[in-house]
Amino acid sequence: SAGFAAAQQTITVNIGSSHPEQNIWVYAMKNTFEPEVNRILEAAGEYKINWVESYGGTLYKFTDTREAVMDGIVDVGMVGTVWEGANMPLQNVTYFTPFATEDHKMIIEIFDDLSENLPELRDSWAENGMVHLSSLITDSYDIYATFPVNSMGDLANRKLNAPGTSANWLRGTGATPVDGALTTYYTNIQTGVTEGTLSFASGILPTRVYEVAPELTRVGIGSMYFGGIAANKDFFEGLPEPVQKAFREAAKATSKAHGQYVEDLAKRALTEMQDAGLTIHELPEAEKMAWVNGLPNIVEPWLEQTGDAGRVVLKAYFDALRAHGAKPLRAWDEGL
Amino acid sequence: MTTLSIGLLLVGALILLVLLGMQIAYALFLVAFAGIWIIRHNIDLAFRMLELTAYSGIADYLFATIPLFVLMGLLVSVSNVGRDTFEVAEELLRRVVCGLGVATVAANTIFAAVTGVSIASAAVFTRVAVPEMKRHGYRSAFSAGTVAGSSVLGMLIPPSLLLIIYGVLAEVSIGGMFIAGIVPGLLLAGGFVAMLISVTLLFPGFVMTDPEAAKKRRLDRDFETMPVGRMIAKLVPIILLVILVLGGLYSGFFTPTEAGGVGAFGALLVALSRRSLDRHNLWQVMKQTGVISVSILLLLIAASYYSRMLSIAGLPNAIAGLVNQSGLGPMGFMVLCASLILLMGMILDSTSILLIMVPIAAPIAQGMGIDLSQFGIAIVIAVEIGLLTPPFGISVFTVHNTLNDPAVSVEQIFAGTLPFIAVMLCVLLLVILIPGIATVFL
Amino acid sequence: MTDDTNAETDDAFVPAFSEAPIGATLGSLAAIMSSVGTLAIGALMVLIVADVLGRNFFNAPITGVAEIAGRAVVAIVFLQVAAAILQKRLTRADFLIRRLHRVSPKGVCLIEALFSIAGMIVFALIVWASWPKLASAWATSEFFGVQGVFTIPTWPFRGITVLGSAAAALAALYRAQDEIRKFRSLP
Ligand code: NA
Ligand code: NA
Repeated sequence: SAGFAAAQQTITVNIGSSHPEQNIWVYAMKNTFEPEVNRILEAAGEYKINWVESYGGTLYKFTDTREAVMDGIVDVGMVGTVWEGANMPLQNVTYFTPFATEDHKMIIEIFDDLSENLPELRDSWAENGMVHLSSLITDSYDIYATFPVNSMGDLANRKLNAPGTSANWLRGTGATPVDGALTTYYTNIQTGVTEGTLSFASGILPTRVYEVAPELTRVGIGSMYFGGIAANKDFFEGLPEPVQKAFREAAKATSKAHGQYVEDLAKRALTEMQDAGLTIHELPEAEKMAWVNGLPNIVEPWLEQTGDAGRVVLKAYFDALRAHGAKPLRAWDEGL
Repeated sequence: MTTLSIGLLLVGALILLVLLGMQIAYALFLVAFAGIWIIRHNIDLAFRMLELTAYSGIADYLFATIPLFVLMGLLVSVSNVGRDTFEVAEELLRRVVCGLGVATVAANTIFAAVTGVSIASAAVFTRVAVPEMKRHGYRSAFSAGTVAGSSVLGMLIPPSLLLIIYGVLAEVSIGGMFIAGIVPGLLLAGGFVAMLISVTLLFPGFVMTDPEAAKKRRLDRDFETMPVGRMIAKLVPIILLVILVLGGLYSGFFTPTEAGGVGAFGALLVALSRRSLDRHNLWQVMKQTGVISVSILLLLIAASYYSRMLSIAGLPNAIAGLVNQSGLGPMGFMVLCASLILLMGMILDSTSILLIMVPIAAPIAQGMGIDLSQFGIAIVIAVEIGLLTPPFGISVFTVHNTLNDPAVSVEQIFAGTLPFIAVMLCVLLLVILIPGIATVFL
Repeated sequence: MTDDTNAETDDAFVPAFSEAPIGATLGSLAAIMSSVGTLAIGALMVLIVADVLGRNFFNAPITGVAEIAGRAVVAIVFLQVAAAILQKRLTRADFLIRRLHRVSPKGVCLIEALFSIAGMIVFALIVWASWPKLASAWATSEFFGVQGVFTIPTWPFRGITVLGSAAAALAALYRAQDEIRKFRSLP
């Protein structure tokens, strides 16, 4: 649906997400990607984008982010591969290999590179009818609870919100994982259904969980690859060359802005939460190693599901981590 | 034509079809399908969104509580817990003007603490209260209206399906919403009582066919009083259920979403222990649960598809823009929202209204600094008025269907609920003007 | 005597086979599907109670209750919708229809038939929209849940959506035919 306005061609782009604009994974779409594309195209003056925004889940729910972009319900959207364990399992490698790195900017760099250059990952986006533009991540996971964790014994018989894949991280710790979502943690902890949650600073701040779980224990379970901003493949390939280039360029800026936004937000979150009474503890190194080494081989079922492609992705990911100077606490890639 | 004006035309088409009497789910689906097709010039997209909505539109733990709340309500009613509650209230309020009306409100208030859906209360108390009121000289239509009117308490006093849905849509704590509903719920119950007494004193003809008979009954001293022991025995089951549901909720035993399941199980135990359930009975109750639930849930799917079409038409964004430009303050905004909901409440069911309204309005309200709990309570009261307003008032329909009395028309019951609507409007206004009513215990 | 004798929904919408073989077959199919849906509601309650008890007393919550409950509620809808259509239980505002009925019962039959055809179209659209994803879910062994924690295939759930919608479309068609028959038989 393109029309001519003077010599300039206007292209309509439907952009949207399952989460609102303030959300960490959506923020840079609205505040960097869109303006950056506009800026680049304006310089050349050949094309102009008419953005039709559907942020905040008005078109589809978080369970449908992949299908929304794949089916062309939006042309560009935030895709949470973390919710796509069946159709895009390769992208979830970080969730099955905890304690790899706390540096979320490193995860962005690694996955921007791998999603474009590692055939297994690139093809996985293509097979799902999408083009990966920019990586989305979480900052490092810690424990927000009603009690401090000074030793692994403190976790025994505790109930913690740990939805989805993160339930795996509690195996061998004696703690019971309880399902939930950012929206349910507060009530769960307040009423005693759980005694805390695994979460990350930038995500937890708006939920005010620190009011009911005032003890933060820094564990450093690690930063996770959450998903990507992606374009519908047919749509993207139908775009004029200069617009495609503008999208790619803007995507790079978006990755940077996303990393910076999460860093600033996490920092601000910690300050604000401390001002509100949050106490910060560190899990002693020896205890942390006991946790890491006490975990069963949680990557095994993932490798079984993903086969050879999984092996390639896991190896490439851990090679990249080490090349970036990270020191994963457990060599999940051992023997590959 | 702009997409926005197409969107508005489609809203008009929906209203027309609903008024003509088309099944509301059919109308929502058809209008939305046509809408997406026309606006995006893409029939494939209409199909894809239809698939997405049908498969995952209500695939949520939250919606799984709907059949369980319905089941709880039906189990409580087959075990005669509602009748017993009413009988005790009737006994205690014998000397009060319009005593049976007040007893209906009182029993509904207590009953509300175990049920999360209003239709359950409406069905139960139609059976229990209306014949009794009729027998003592109250007008049938007024009695039916009283039951329909006081049934709305079920959705304001926790647990409440509407508060759960609002909490999820607005991303506020559901436990917090439950607490916020308590004072407004009690205020509403008190308002109903005051209204019943004053209307009976001022316009006895509106309430009674035979005011003298009622007066005689009130002043009669020769009746046999119910022994205290029997009263307590009658109240034990409901008290146990209230303790189970609210106690379990606030002691962290289970979450608000789980309350429906646990409550239904508790009601099942009560029913079994009172020997009011045999295998055949239980199966009938379960089937009834299914039939009631599916009509609500199918509407939810259809409404979700429809609201996605509105979003494609850009209607939510346009409304947000209008509100921002209009320079409305927080109060003005809340009044505007409430008025829109009252209009929608005439033709739409309560869940659909929340699905359409909250995602648009809650972010705007938050941006204006309105407390989202206060906003939610105001919205839910406005939505509940819709349960009583014609042409589509589900509580009134439930009472009418359950009563099944050719002498009492739907129109008469609608008229009987008018004073209740007036009280609800007053409480709605109070909640908007005084945030503390909702937020006092938060 | 109970508070609510409304609990009398039975299989009255299934006509005798000798009188209406198609209606009887369709009605029985709907009744069976609806019974499965009814059982699912009971199972849902048991699952939730077991999860609450397991979590509180045995430190052993049931994994995936939230996801399973979410999928189950959709299945419940599509299992029961055909029966709901045959029993005329879908929500509507019928104040105009009721008035019209006094004036022209034949007209009402015609309108009801039209509405039923609309319903048939709606569910046919859902079938048409949904079956490709059922096929691909089957082909790719799509699941929900988490590898290593719990995984459940999605095709049975997608299948129920397709099957339930197909039955609903037929039920609506049958209702339309029934209204037309009534239209003909009225003076
Ligand atoms: Na309630
Ligand atoms: Na209404």
